[in-house]
Amino acid sequence: MNTERIINCERKRFQKLIKFRLSHRFMTIGVAIVIVSIVGMFVRAFALDNEVEWLKQLLQKTLLVGMLIMSMSKDKVEDEMTIALRAQSYAIAFVVGVIYALIMPYVEYGVSNLVHSGGEAFKDLGDFQVLLFMLMIQLMFYHNLKRFR
Amino acid sequence: MENTIKVERAILNLTQDDLAKKIGVSRQTINSIEANRYVPSTVLALKLSALFGKPVNDFFKLTKDD
Repeated sequence: MNTERIINCERKRFQKLIKFRLSHRFMTIGVAIVIVSIVGMFVRAFALDNEVEWLKQLLQKTLLVGMLIMSMSKDKVEDEMTIALRAQSYAIAFVVGVIYALIMPYVEYGVSNLVHSGGEAFKDLGDFQVLLFMLMIQLMFYHNLKRFR
Repeated sequence: MENTIKVERAILNLTQDDLAKKIGVSRQTINSIEANRYVPSTVLALKLSALFGKPVNDFFKLTKDD
């Protein structure tokens, strides 16, 4: 009896964790963080004279956090269909992200060697590039799935 | 799966928006259900049933493809 109660309690906690979403106003906060990060990236690249590596790292992280907040925030009217569409968009983003991470290094290597003879050496994608791509795909697909529902 | 929600809604003289508010979903969800693009959950089907005062089978029908 006691074990059953513990299992039920754990199940409820797990369900609560799975269903966790930020409220709709976090969407605005996420968009603001993304815009500030992108503007900061442009300023760092074109306006600052010396290379500031820590600022680059920081802006990459804030961009990802902003997009994650956008991805996790609820819609104005959140119902079972939006939940299903969001789940679909996460699945698509995961599959496309894995394919991107597998293929893109070869594409970059091939293009680089085609354009400049003896171009760049083969290198894997960084975590920022893969995560950014996956979040972009998720947000884009979710938006499109909602548009065509 | 096909449905006659549009007809039931017309009988009650409700707009898509009215129906959506009554069962707590978005207007687009009602539109998708009516157009047979989305099959609602049992919970939503029972909410519609309670609102229309009819069994679920009266307005949701299985097709040959199902």
